[in-house]
Amino acid sequence: MNESVEIVGSFADEQACAHCIEKLRELRALAVRVFSPIPSHHIEHAIGKPKSTVRAFVLSGGILGILTALALTIGTSWEWNLVVGGKPIVSWPPFIIIMFELMILFGGISAVLSFLFNARVPAFEIEKGYSSRFSEDRFGIVVRCAEGESARVESILKDAGAEEVVREAA
Amino acid sequence: MSAKPEAVRINAEGIAAPAAAPVAGAAFKGLLGVLVLVGIAGFAAGISSGNADRVWQAYLVNFLVWIGIAQGGVVLSAAYYLTQGRWAGATQYRLAEAFAGFIPLGFVLFWGLYFGRTMIFPWVLHPIPQKAAWLNTPFLFARDGIGLLVMTVLSLALVRASRRPEATAWQRNSADIEMPPPTLRKIAPALGIAFTVVYSLIAFDLVMSLAPVWRSTLFGWYFFGGAFWSAIVAIALTAVILRARLGEHNVLRDPTVLHDIGKMVFAFSIFWIYLVFAQYIVIWYGDIPTETFFIVQRVYYMPWKAISYAVVFLMWVIPFVGLIGVRPKKTPAILGAISLGGIIGVWLERYLLVVPSLSLHTIPFGWVEVLITLGFFGAFMLCSLPGLDLVAAAATSEWQEGHE
Repeated sequence: MNESVEIVGSFADEQACAHCIEKLRELRALAVRVFSPIPSHHIEHAIGKPKSTVRAFVLSGGILGILTALALTIGTSWEWNLVVGGKPIVSWPPFIIIMFELMILFGGISAVLSFLFNARVPAFEIEKGYSSRFSEDRFGIVVRCAEGESARVESILKDAGAEEVVREAA
Repeated sequence: MSAKPEAVRINAEGIAAPAAAPVAGAAFKGLLGVLVLVGIAGFAAGISSGNADRVWQAYLVNFLVWIGIAQGGVVLSAAYYLTQGRWAGATQYRLAEAFAGFIPLGFVLFWGLYFGRTMIFPWVLHPIPQKAAWLNTPFLFARDGIGLLVMTVLSLALVRASRRPEATAWQRNSADIEMPPPTLRKIAPALGIAFTVVYSLIAFDLVMSLAPVWRSTLFGWYFFGGAFWSAIVAIALTAVILRARLGEHNVLRDPTVLHDIGKMVFAFSIFWIYLVFAQYIVIWYGDIPTETFFIVQRVYYMPWKAISYAVVFLMWVIPFVGLIGVRPKKTPAILGAISLGGIIGVWLERYLLVVPSLSLHTIPFGWVEVLITLGFFGAFMLCSLPGLDLVAAAATSEWQEGHE
Protein backbone atom coordinates (compact mmCIF):
# COMPACT_ATOMS: atom_id res chain seq x y z
CA MET A 1 0.00 0.00 0.00
CA ASN A 2 2.14 2.83 -1.17
CA GLU A 3 -0.49 5.46 -0.47
CA SER A 4 -0.68 4.75 3.28
CA VAL A 5 1.05 7.04 5.74
CA GLU A 6 1.96 6.96 9.41
CA ILE A 7 1.00 9.82 11.62
CA VAL A 8 2.79 10.27 14.93
CA GLY A 9 1.22 12.30 17.72
CA SER A 10 3.03 12.97 20.96
CA PHE A 11 1.29 13.65 24.25
CA ALA A 12 2.48 14.99 27.57
CA ASP A 13 -0.60 13.80 29.40
CA GLU A 14 -1.42 10.16 30.07
CA GLN A 15 -5.19 10.72 30.30
CA ALA A 16 -5.31 12.75 27.08
CA CYS A 17 -3.36 10.03 25.33
CA ALA A 18 -5.77 7.36 26.61
CA HIS A 19 -8.81 9.36 25.47
CA CYS A 20 -7.25 9.86 22.06
CA ILE A 21 -6.66 6.12 21.72
CA GLU A 22 -10.29 5.47 22.57
CA LYS A 23 -11.42 7.93 19.89
CA LEU A 24 -9.12 6.45 17.28
CA ARG A 25 -10.32 2.95 18.10
CA GLU A 26 -13.86 4.00 17.25
CA LEU A 27 -12.68 4.27 13.64
CA ARG A 28 -12.10 0.57 13.39
CA ALA A 29 -10.10 0.41 10.20
CA LEU A 30 -7.01 2.14 11.61
CA ALA A 31 -3.87 0.47 12.87
CA VAL A 32 -2.83 2.18 16.10
CA ARG A 33 0.46 1.69 17.91
CA VAL A 34 1.24 3.32 21.24
CA PHE A 35 4.54 4.10 22.95
CA SER A 36 4.51 4.83 26.65
CA PRO A 37 7.39 5.74 28.96
CA ILE A 38 5.60 4.17 31.93
CA PRO A 39 3.32 1.19 32.42
CA SER A 40 -0.11 2.81 32.38
CA HIS A 41 -3.41 1.24 33.34
CA HIS A 42 -5.32 3.96 31.53
CA ILE A 43 -3.59 3.30 28.25
CA GLU A 44 -3.78 -0.44 28.72
CA HIS A 45 -7.51 -0.08 29.25
CA ALA A 46 -7.87 2.24 26.23
CA ILE A 47 -6.06 -0.15 23.93
CA GLY A 48 -8.53 -2.83 24.95
CA LYS A 49 -6.01 -5.63 24.75
CA PRO A 50 -7.27 -9.00 25.90
CA LYS A 51 -5.81 -10.31 29.16
CA SER A 52 -2.17 -11.29 28.89
CA THR A 53 -1.34 -14.92 28.20
CA VAL A 54 1.44 -14.80 30.80
CA ARG A 55 -0.95 -16.14 33.43
CA ALA A 56 -1.66 -19.27 31.40
CA PHE A 57 2.07 -19.91 31.04
CA VAL A 58 2.62 -19.43 34.77
CA LEU A 59 -0.19 -21.84 35.64
CA SER A 60 1.07 -24.53 33.30
CA GLY A 61 4.64 -23.93 34.45
CA GLY A 62 3.55 -24.33 38.06
CA ILE A 63 1.67 -27.55 37.37
CA LEU A 64 4.62 -28.87 35.39
CA GLY A 65 6.84 -28.02 38.37
CA ILE A 66 4.64 -30.03 40.74
CA LEU A 67 4.65 -33.01 38.40
CA THR A 68 8.41 -32.79 37.94
CA ALA A 69 8.90 -32.69 41.71
CA LEU A 70 6.64 -35.73 42.16
CA ALA A 71 8.59 -37.62 39.53
CA LEU A 72 11.92 -36.57 41.05
CA THR A 73 11.09 -37.37 44.67
CA ILE A 74 9.16 -40.60 44.12
CA GLY A 75 11.53 -41.72 41.36
CA THR A 76 14.68 -41.26 43.41
CA SER A 77 13.06 -42.89 46.45
CA TRP A 78 12.18 -45.97 44.42
CA GLU A 79 15.56 -45.99 42.75
CA TRP A 80 17.33 -46.22 46.12
CA ASN A 81 15.10 -48.16 48.51
CA LEU A 82 16.51 -46.91 51.77
CA VAL A 83 14.32 -46.96 54.85
CA VAL A 84 14.98 -43.81 56.87
CA GLY A 85 13.74 -43.45 60.43
CA GLY A 86 11.29 -46.32 59.97
CA LYS A 87 9.24 -44.29 57.54
CA PRO A 88 7.74 -45.60 54.29
CA ILE A 89 9.93 -45.41 51.18
CA VAL A 90 7.58 -42.90 49.62
CA SER A 91 6.67 -40.60 52.50
CA TRP A 92 4.90 -37.56 51.20
CA PRO A 93 5.29 -34.80 53.87
CA PRO A 94 8.81 -33.71 52.83
CA PHE A 95 7.90 -34.12 49.16
CA ILE A 96 5.40 -31.30 49.55
CA ILE A 97 8.31 -28.92 50.11
CA ILE A 98 10.04 -30.02 46.90
CA MET A 99 6.74 -29.79 45.04
CA PHE A 100 6.21 -26.29 46.36
CA GLU A 101 9.72 -25.15 45.47
CA LEU A 102 9.67 -26.56 41.95
CA MET A 103 6.20 -25.10 41.40
CA ILE A 104 7.61 -21.65 42.25
CA LEU A 105 10.75 -22.21 40.17
CA PHE A 106 8.99 -23.48 37.05
CA GLY A 107 6.19 -20.94 37.41
CA GLY A 108 8.69 -18.11 37.78
CA ILE A 109 10.82 -19.18 34.84
CA SER A 110 7.80 -19.57 32.58
CA ALA A 111 6.59 -16.14 33.70
CA VAL A 112 9.87 -14.55 32.63
CA LEU A 113 10.05 -16.44 29.33
CA SER A 114 6.43 -15.77 28.41
CA PHE A 115 6.89 -12.12 29.36
CA LEU A 116 9.86 -11.83 27.02
CA PHE A 117 7.89 -13.61 24.32
CA ASN A 118 4.86 -11.37 24.81
CA ALA A 119 6.93 -8.19 24.93
CA ARG A 120 8.79 -9.27 21.77
CA VAL A 121 12.12 -8.95 23.53
CA PRO A 122 14.79 -8.92 22.27
CA ALA A 123 13.80 -6.65 19.41
CA PHE A 124 16.48 -6.00 16.81
CA GLU A 125 14.56 -3.44 14.87
CA ILE A 126 13.20 -0.22 16.25
CA GLU A 127 9.53 0.17 15.47
CA LYS A 128 8.57 2.91 13.07
CA GLY A 129 7.49 6.16 14.56
CA TYR A 130 9.51 5.64 17.74
CA SER A 131 11.36 8.55 19.18
CA SER A 132 13.58 8.61 22.26
CA ARG A 133 11.14 11.03 23.90
CA PHE A 134 8.71 8.12 24.24
CA SER A 135 11.14 6.55 26.67
CA GLU A 136 11.44 9.75 28.66
CA ASP A 137 8.38 11.87 29.36
CA ARG A 138 6.11 11.72 26.32
CA PHE A 139 3.42 9.32 25.13
CA GLY A 140 3.33 8.56 21.44
CA ILE A 141 0.50 7.36 19.23
CA VAL A 142 1.34 6.11 15.77
CA VAL A 143 -1.58 5.73 13.39
CA ARG A 144 -1.24 3.98 10.07
CA CYS A 145 -3.90 5.07 7.64
CA ALA A 146 -4.66 5.77 4.00
CA GLU A 147 -3.46 9.03 2.55
CA GLY A 148 -7.03 10.25 2.18
CA GLU A 149 -7.86 9.74 5.84
CA SER A 150 -4.76 11.46 7.17
CA ALA A 151 -6.37 14.88 7.60
CA ARG A 152 -9.10 13.41 9.79
CA VAL A 153 -6.64 11.46 11.91
CA GLU A 154 -4.46 14.52 12.35
CA SER A 155 -7.41 16.52 13.55
CA ILE A 156 -8.40 13.80 16.02
CA LEU A 157 -4.89 13.78 17.43
CA LYS A 158 -4.78 17.54 17.69
CA ASP A 159 -8.23 17.79 19.23
CA ALA A 160 -7.25 15.26 21.84
CA GLY A 161 -4.37 17.44 22.93
CA ALA A 162 -1.34 16.20 20.99
CA GLU A 163 1.59 18.57 21.38
CA GLU A 164 2.98 17.67 18.03
CA VAL A 165 1.68 15.74 15.02
CA VAL A 166 4.16 14.51 12.43
CA ARG A 167 3.51 12.64 9.21
CA GLU A 168 5.86 9.94 8.04
CA ALA A 169 5.86 7.79 4.97
CA ALA A 170 4.73 4.26 5.79
CA MET B 1 -35.38 5.46 42.47
CA SER B 2 -35.50 8.13 45.12
CA ALA B 3 -33.46 11.30 44.86
CA LYS B 4 -29.74 10.75 45.15
CA PRO B 5 -28.34 12.23 48.34
CA GLU B 6 -25.59 14.75 47.82
CA ALA B 7 -22.16 13.17 48.08
CA VAL B 8 -20.47 14.47 51.20
CA ARG B 9 -17.13 16.16 50.76
CA ILE B 10 -14.67 15.85 53.56
CA ASN B 11 -12.77 18.90 54.71
CA ALA B 12 -9.16 18.67 55.68
CA GLU B 13 -9.97 18.28 59.38
CA GLY B 14 -12.16 15.32 58.56
CA ILE B 15 -14.97 16.44 60.86
CA ALA B 16 -17.68 16.55 58.24
CA ALA B 17 -18.88 13.03 58.94
CA PRO B 18 -22.65 13.23 59.25
CA ALA B 19 -24.30 11.40 62.10
CA ALA B 20 -25.25 8.06 60.57
CA ALA B 21 -28.04 6.01 62.10
CA PRO B 22 -26.70 3.58 64.70
CA VAL B 23 -25.89 0.17 63.25
CA ALA B 24 -27.99 -1.68 65.80
CA GLY B 25 -31.50 -0.77 66.89
CA ALA B 26 -32.82 -1.10 70.42
CA ALA B 27 -34.26 -4.53 69.65
CA PHE B 28 -30.88 -5.89 68.53
CA LYS B 29 -29.14 -4.40 71.55
CA GLY B 30 -31.77 -6.00 73.73
CA LEU B 31 -31.18 -9.33 72.03
CA LEU B 32 -27.44 -9.05 72.69
CA GLY B 33 -28.17 -8.21 76.31
CA VAL B 34 -30.35 -11.31 76.55
CA LEU B 35 -27.49 -13.37 75.06
CA VAL B 36 -25.13 -12.12 77.76
CA LEU B 37 -27.67 -13.09 80.43
CA VAL B 38 -28.12 -16.47 78.77
CA GLY B 39 -24.36 -16.94 78.90
CA ILE B 40 -24.21 -16.04 82.58
CA ALA B 41 -27.16 -18.34 83.30
CA GLY B 42 -25.48 -21.15 81.35
CA PHE B 43 -22.27 -20.56 83.29
CA ALA B 44 -24.09 -20.74 86.63
CA ALA B 45 -26.22 -23.73 85.60
CA GLY B 46 -23.15 -25.56 84.29
CA ILE B 47 -21.23 -25.03 87.52
CA SER B 48 -24.15 -26.06 89.71
CA SER B 49 -25.04 -29.13 87.63
CA GLY B 50 -21.61 -30.65 88.07
CA ASN B 51 -20.23 -29.68 84.64
CA ALA B 52 -17.68 -27.23 85.99
CA ASP B 53 -14.83 -28.70 83.92
CA ARG B 54 -16.76 -28.24 80.68
CA VAL B 55 -17.82 -24.75 81.73
CA TRP B 56 -14.23 -23.65 82.24
CA GLN B 57 -13.00 -25.28 79.03
CA ALA B 58 -15.71 -23.51 77.06
CA TYR B 59 -14.86 -20.29 78.88
CA LEU B 60 -11.19 -20.61 77.91
CA VAL B 61 -12.00 -21.45 74.27
CA ASN B 62 -14.31 -18.47 73.94
CA PHE B 63 -11.90 -16.17 75.72
CA LEU B 64 -9.17 -17.11 73.22
CA VAL B 65 -11.46 -16.78 70.20
CA TRP B 66 -13.02 -13.41 70.97
CA ILE B 67 -10.01 -11.64 72.38
CA GLY B 68 -8.08 -12.93 69.36
CA ILE B 69 -10.54 -11.25 67.00
CA ALA B 70 -10.57 -7.99 68.95
CA GLN B 71 -6.80 -7.83 69.37
CA GLY B 72 -6.03 -9.05 65.85
CA GLY B 73 -8.16 -6.22 64.47
CA VAL B 74 -6.17 -3.55 66.30
CA VAL B 75 -2.94 -5.18 65.15
CA LEU B 76 -4.30 -5.09 61.61
CA SER B 77 -4.84 -1.35 62.02
CA ALA B 78 -1.22 -1.05 63.20
CA ALA B 79 -0.17 -3.05 60.13
CA TYR B 80 -2.07 -0.60 57.94
CA TYR B 81 -0.08 2.25 59.47
CA LEU B 82 3.22 0.42 59.05
CA THR B 83 2.48 -0.27 55.39
CA GLN B 84 0.67 3.07 54.93
CA GLY B 85 -2.29 1.22 53.47
CA ARG B 86 -5.09 3.55 52.51
CA TRP B 87 -7.05 1.62 49.92
CA ALA B 88 -10.36 2.32 51.65
CA GLY B 89 -9.55 5.54 53.49
CA ALA B 90 -10.65 5.87 57.10
CA THR B 91 -13.20 3.07 56.63
CA GLN B 92 -10.56 0.34 56.64
CA TYR B 93 -9.11 1.70 59.90
CA ARG B 94 -12.56 1.96 61.56
CA LEU B 95 -13.31 -1.59 60.42
CA ALA B 96 -10.07 -2.96 61.85
CA GLU B 97 -10.63 -1.12 65.14
CA ALA B 98 -14.35 -1.91 65.33
CA PHE B 99 -13.96 -4.70 67.87
CA ALA B 100 -11.39 -2.98 70.09
CA GLY B 101 -14.07 -2.29 72.70
CA PHE B 102 -13.91 -5.94 73.74
CA ILE B 103 -10.20 -5.80 74.67
CA PRO B 104 -10.66 -4.23 78.16
CA LEU B 105 -13.50 -6.66 78.92
CA GLY B 106 -11.32 -9.49 77.67
CA PHE B 107 -8.62 -8.41 80.10
CA VAL B 108 -11.16 -8.63 82.93
CA LEU B 109 -12.43 -11.99 81.70
CA PHE B 110 -8.86 -13.32 81.71
CA TRP B 111 -8.85 -13.10 85.50
CA GLY B 112 -11.91 -15.35 85.56
CA LEU B 113 -9.59 -18.17 84.50
CA TYR B 114 -7.98 -17.92 87.93
CA PHE B 115 -11.13 -19.37 89.49
CA GLY B 116 -11.23 -22.25 87.02
CA ARG B 117 -7.51 -23.01 87.09
CA THR B 118 -7.82 -26.41 88.72
CA MET B 119 -10.17 -27.54 85.95
CA ILE B 120 -8.15 -26.03 83.10
CA PHE B 121 -4.48 -26.56 83.90
CA PRO B 122 -3.51 -30.16 84.67
CA TRP B 123 -0.26 -29.02 86.30
CA VAL B 124 -2.09 -27.14 89.08
CA LEU B 125 -3.15 -30.38 90.76
CA HIS B 126 -0.33 -32.53 89.36
CA PRO B 127 2.74 -30.29 89.11
CA ILE B 128 5.62 -31.34 86.90
CA PRO B 129 8.74 -30.84 89.02
CA GLN B 130 11.07 -29.98 86.11
CA LYS B 131 8.71 -27.30 84.86
CA ALA B 132 7.43 -26.00 88.19
CA ALA B 133 9.56 -22.88 87.99
CA TRP B 134 7.62 -21.78 84.92
CA LEU B 135 4.27 -23.54 85.29
CA ASN B 136 2.96 -22.31 88.62
CA THR B 137 -0.17 -20.33 89.29
CA PRO B 138 1.20 -17.01 90.62
CA PHE B 139 3.86 -16.64 87.92
CA LEU B 140 1.51 -17.61 85.08
CA PHE B 141 -1.19 -15.16 86.04
CA ALA B 142 1.34 -12.43 86.80
CA ARG B 143 3.16 -12.65 83.46
CA ASP B 144 0.05 -13.15 81.32
CA GLY B 145 -1.84 -10.49 83.25
CA ILE B 146 0.96 -7.97 82.73
CA GLY B 147 1.21 -8.96 79.06
CA LEU B 148 -2.50 -8.52 78.48
CA LEU B 149 -2.48 -5.25 80.40
CA VAL B 150 0.29 -3.94 78.14
CA MET B 151 -1.71 -5.04 75.08
CA THR B 152 -4.87 -3.38 76.40
CA VAL B 153 -3.13 -0.08 77.08
CA LEU B 154 -1.28 -0.07 73.74
CA SER B 155 -4.42 -1.04 71.82
CA LEU B 156 -6.58 1.63 73.41
CA ALA B 157 -3.84 4.20 72.82
CA LEU B 158 -3.61 3.24 69.15
CA VAL B 159 -7.37 3.30 68.63
CA ARG B 160 -7.64 6.64 70.40
CA ALA B 161 -4.85 8.22 68.33
CA SER B 162 -6.18 6.64 65.17
CA ARG B 163 -9.60 8.27 65.60
CA ARG B 164 -8.18 11.78 66.06
CA PRO B 165 -8.87 14.29 63.27
CA GLU B 166 -5.25 14.51 62.09
CA ALA B 167 -5.13 10.71 61.79
CA THR B 168 -8.44 10.44 59.93
CA ALA B 169 -7.35 13.22 57.60
CA TRP B 170 -4.18 11.25 56.86
CA GLN B 171 -6.19 8.05 56.34
CA ARG B 172 -8.42 9.71 53.78
CA ASN B 173 -5.66 11.46 51.89
CA SER B 174 -4.22 8.54 49.97
CA ALA B 175 -2.84 10.77 47.23
CA ASP B 176 -0.03 12.28 49.28
CA ILE B 177 3.08 10.54 50.57
CA GLU B 178 3.10 12.03 54.07
CA MET B 179 3.92 9.71 56.96
CA PRO B 180 1.16 9.00 59.50
CA PRO B 181 0.99 11.25 62.60
CA PRO B 182 4.04 10.82 64.93
CA THR B 183 2.11 9.21 67.82
CA LEU B 184 0.95 6.43 65.53
CA ARG B 185 4.40 5.97 64.07
CA LYS B 186 5.51 5.07 67.61
CA ILE B 187 2.54 3.03 68.79
CA ALA B 188 2.02 0.93 65.66
CA PRO B 189 5.40 -0.87 65.62
CA ALA B 190 5.36 -1.23 69.42
CA LEU B 191 1.93 -2.83 69.24
CA GLY B 192 2.98 -5.20 66.48
CA ILE B 193 6.02 -6.42 68.39
CA ALA B 194 4.18 -6.64 71.72
CA PHE B 195 1.44 -8.67 70.02
CA THR B 196 3.85 -11.33 68.84
CA VAL B 197 5.49 -11.59 72.27
CA VAL B 198 2.37 -11.49 74.44
CA TYR B 199 0.26 -13.75 72.25
CA SER B 200 3.09 -16.29 71.99
CA LEU B 201 3.09 -16.26 75.76
CA ILE B 202 -0.69 -16.67 75.85
CA ALA B 203 -0.39 -19.60 73.42
CA PHE B 204 2.31 -21.30 75.49
CA ASP B 205 0.61 -20.67 78.84
CA LEU B 206 -3.09 -20.99 78.13
CA VAL B 207 -3.01 -23.62 75.37
CA MET B 208 0.26 -25.53 75.23
CA SER B 209 0.48 -25.97 79.02
CA LEU B 210 -2.77 -27.95 78.95
CA ALA B 211 -0.62 -30.77 77.56
CA PRO B 212 2.35 -29.90 79.73
CA VAL B 213 4.82 -32.41 78.27
CA TRP B 214 4.21 -31.28 74.70
CA ARG B 215 6.16 -28.50 73.04
CA SER B 216 6.44 -26.83 69.67
CA THR B 217 8.53 -23.69 69.34
CA LEU B 218 6.45 -22.39 66.46
CA PHE B 219 3.20 -22.79 68.34
CA GLY B 220 3.04 -19.19 69.53
CA TRP B 221 3.48 -17.88 66.05
CA TYR B 222 0.83 -20.27 64.76
CA PHE B 223 -1.55 -19.15 67.49
CA PHE B 224 -1.31 -15.41 66.90
CA GLY B 225 -1.26 -15.92 63.13
CA GLY B 226 -4.64 -17.61 63.54
CA ALA B 227 -5.87 -14.76 65.77
CA PHE B 228 -4.80 -12.24 63.13
CA TRP B 229 -6.65 -14.18 60.45
CA SER B 230 -9.75 -14.44 62.63
CA ALA B 231 -9.81 -10.64 62.80
CA ILE B 232 -9.54 -10.40 59.02
CA VAL B 233 -12.48 -12.76 58.43
CA ALA B 234 -14.51 -10.93 61.08
CA ILE B 235 -13.78 -7.69 59.24
CA ALA B 236 -14.71 -9.23 55.90
CA LEU B 237 -18.01 -10.48 57.30
CA THR B 238 -18.70 -7.08 58.90
CA ALA B 239 -17.92 -5.32 55.62
CA VAL B 240 -20.30 -7.57 53.72
CA ILE B 241 -23.13 -7.08 56.22
CA LEU B 242 -22.68 -3.30 56.54
CA ARG B 243 -22.35 -2.96 52.79
CA ALA B 244 -25.91 -4.21 52.42
CA ARG B 245 -27.26 -2.34 55.44
CA LEU B 246 -25.85 1.12 54.80
CA GLY B 247 -27.85 1.80 51.67
CA GLU B 248 -26.65 2.51 48.20
CA HIS B 249 -23.98 5.07 48.96
CA ASN B 250 -21.13 3.76 51.06
CA VAL B 251 -17.47 2.98 50.51
CA LEU B 252 -18.07 -0.73 51.00
CA ARG B 253 -20.13 -0.77 47.80
CA ASP B 254 -16.91 -0.20 45.90
CA PRO B 255 -16.00 -3.67 44.61
CA THR B 256 -12.27 -2.92 44.89
CA VAL B 257 -12.66 -2.63 48.68
CA LEU B 258 -14.15 -6.12 48.96
CA HIS B 259 -11.49 -7.29 46.54
CA ASP B 260 -8.74 -5.99 48.84
CA ILE B 261 -10.32 -7.50 51.96
CA GLY B 262 -10.78 -10.77 50.06
CA LYS B 263 -7.08 -10.77 49.19
CA MET B 264 -6.20 -10.54 52.87
CA VAL B 265 -8.56 -13.40 53.75
CA PHE B 266 -6.93 -15.45 51.00
CA ALA B 267 -3.34 -14.56 51.83
CA PHE B 268 -3.45 -15.08 55.59
CA SER B 269 -5.36 -18.32 55.18
CA ILE B 270 -2.35 -19.59 53.23
CA PHE B 271 -0.07 -18.23 55.95
CA TRP B 272 -2.05 -20.20 58.54
CA ILE B 273 -1.77 -23.51 56.66
CA TYR B 274 1.92 -22.76 56.13
CA LEU B 275 2.39 -22.54 59.90
CA VAL B 276 0.38 -25.74 60.39
CA PHE B 277 2.58 -27.54 57.91
CA ALA B 278 5.80 -26.05 59.27
CA GLN B 279 5.01 -27.53 62.69
CA TYR B 280 3.72 -30.80 61.30
CA ILE B 281 6.81 -31.50 59.20
CA VAL B 282 9.22 -30.98 62.09
CA ILE B 283 7.22 -33.21 64.41
CA TRP B 284 6.82 -35.81 61.66
CA TYR B 285 10.55 -35.88 60.95
CA GLY B 286 11.61 -36.05 64.58
CA ASP B 287 9.01 -38.69 65.41
CA ILE B 288 9.51 -38.26 69.14
CA PRO B 289 6.56 -39.61 71.14
CA THR B 290 6.36 -36.57 73.42
CA GLU B 291 5.87 -34.42 70.35
CA THR B 292 3.79 -36.63 68.09
CA PHE B 293 1.01 -37.49 70.54
CA PHE B 294 -0.46 -34.00 70.34
CA ILE B 295 -1.05 -34.39 66.60
CA VAL B 296 -1.90 -38.09 66.67
CA GLN B 297 -4.70 -37.51 69.18
CA ARG B 298 -6.22 -34.79 67.06
CA VAL B 299 -5.63 -35.85 63.49
CA TYR B 300 -5.49 -39.65 63.38
CA TYR B 301 -8.21 -40.81 65.76
CA MET B 302 -11.90 -40.17 65.99
CA PRO B 303 -13.73 -38.26 67.33
CA TRP B 304 -11.26 -35.36 67.02
CA LYS B 305 -10.16 -36.37 63.52
CA ALA B 306 -13.48 -35.09 62.16
CA ILE B 307 -13.00 -31.69 63.83
CA SER B 308 -9.43 -31.45 62.51
CA TYR B 309 -10.57 -32.02 58.95
CA ALA B 310 -13.42 -29.53 59.38
CA VAL B 311 -10.95 -26.91 60.63
CA VAL B 312 -8.56 -27.40 57.71
CA PHE B 313 -11.46 -27.14 55.28
CA LEU B 314 -12.98 -24.04 56.87
CA MET B 315 -9.70 -22.21 57.42
CA TRP B 316 -7.77 -23.13 54.31
CA VAL B 317 -9.32 -25.39 51.64
CA ILE B 318 -12.53 -23.40 51.22
CA PRO B 319 -10.96 -19.90 51.42
CA PHE B 320 -8.15 -20.98 49.08
CA VAL B 321 -10.29 -22.58 46.40
CA GLY B 322 -13.19 -20.19 46.86
CA LEU B 323 -11.26 -16.93 46.81
CA ILE B 324 -8.54 -17.69 44.27
CA GLY B 325 -10.34 -15.71 41.56
CA VAL B 326 -11.12 -12.01 41.41
CA ARG B 327 -14.86 -12.38 40.99
CA PRO B 328 -15.54 -14.46 44.12
CA LYS B 329 -13.58 -11.91 46.18
CA LYS B 330 -15.81 -9.16 44.82
CA THR B 331 -19.04 -11.11 45.32
CA PRO B 332 -20.41 -10.21 48.77
CA ALA B 333 -22.35 -13.46 49.22
CA ILE B 334 -19.27 -15.63 48.53
CA LEU B 335 -16.84 -13.54 50.59
CA GLY B 336 -19.38 -13.31 53.42
CA ALA B 337 -20.14 -17.03 53.47
CA ILE B 338 -16.45 -17.98 53.41
CA SER B 339 -15.72 -15.49 56.19
CA LEU B 340 -18.55 -16.81 58.34
CA GLY B 341 -17.18 -20.30 57.76
CA GLY B 342 -13.76 -18.94 58.71
CA ILE B 343 -14.99 -17.63 62.07
CA ILE B 344 -16.64 -20.97 62.79
CA GLY B 345 -13.39 -22.63 61.73
CA VAL B 346 -11.35 -20.48 64.12
CA TRP B 347 -13.74 -21.30 66.96
CA LEU B 348 -13.43 -25.02 66.20
CA GLU B 349 -9.66 -24.70 65.89
CA ARG B 350 -9.31 -23.09 69.34
CA TYR B 351 -11.69 -25.75 70.67
CA LEU B 352 -9.53 -28.41 69.06
CA LEU B 353 -6.38 -26.98 70.62
CA VAL B 354 -7.81 -26.78 74.12
CA VAL B 355 -10.33 -29.52 74.75
CA PRO B 356 -8.66 -32.79 73.56
CA SER B 357 -5.89 -32.16 76.11
CA LEU B 358 -8.53 -32.45 78.81
CA SER B 359 -11.12 -34.76 77.25
CA LEU B 360 -9.52 -37.20 74.84
CA HIS B 361 -12.20 -39.72 73.96
CA THR B 362 -15.38 -37.70 73.74
CA ILE B 363 -16.29 -34.36 72.28
CA PRO B 364 -17.99 -32.51 75.11
CA PHE B 365 -20.38 -30.34 73.21
CA GLY B 366 -23.85 -29.57 74.50
CA TRP B 367 -25.90 -26.82 76.04
CA VAL B 368 -23.05 -25.71 78.32
CA GLU B 369 -20.75 -24.89 75.40
CA VAL B 370 -23.55 -23.35 73.32
CA LEU B 371 -24.82 -21.06 76.08
CA ILE B 372 -21.36 -19.84 77.07
CA THR B 373 -20.48 -19.18 73.44
CA LEU B 374 -23.70 -17.19 73.01
CA GLY B 375 -22.88 -15.19 76.12
CA PHE B 376 -19.40 -14.34 74.85
CA PHE B 377 -20.79 -13.47 71.43
CA GLY B 378 -23.36 -11.13 73.01
CA ALA B 379 -20.74 -9.40 75.14
CA PHE B 380 -18.35 -9.13 72.19
CA MET B 381 -21.01 -7.54 69.99
CA LEU B 382 -22.24 -5.17 72.72
CA CYS B 383 -18.65 -3.94 73.17
CA SER B 384 -18.23 -3.61 69.40
CA LEU B 385 -21.37 -1.58 68.65
CA PRO B 386 -19.79 1.87 69.20
CA GLY B 387 -16.92 0.85 66.91
CA LEU B 388 -19.36 -0.41 64.29
CA ASP B 389 -21.24 2.91 64.40
CA LEU B 390 -17.96 4.62 63.54
CA VAL B 391 -17.50 2.23 60.61
CA ALA B 392 -20.96 3.16 59.36
CA ALA B 393 -20.24 6.88 59.71
CA ALA B 394 -16.90 6.61 57.88
CA ALA B 395 -18.25 4.37 55.13
CA THR B 396 -21.21 6.62 54.32
CA SER B 397 -19.43 9.95 54.68
CA GLU B 398 -16.47 9.01 52.56
CA TRP B 399 -18.54 7.82 49.70
CA GLN B 400 -18.06 10.02 46.70
CA GLU B 401 -19.66 10.32 43.32
CA GLY B 402 -17.85 8.23 40.76
CA HIS B 403 -15.98 6.25 43.35
CA GLU B 404 -17.07 2.97 41.81
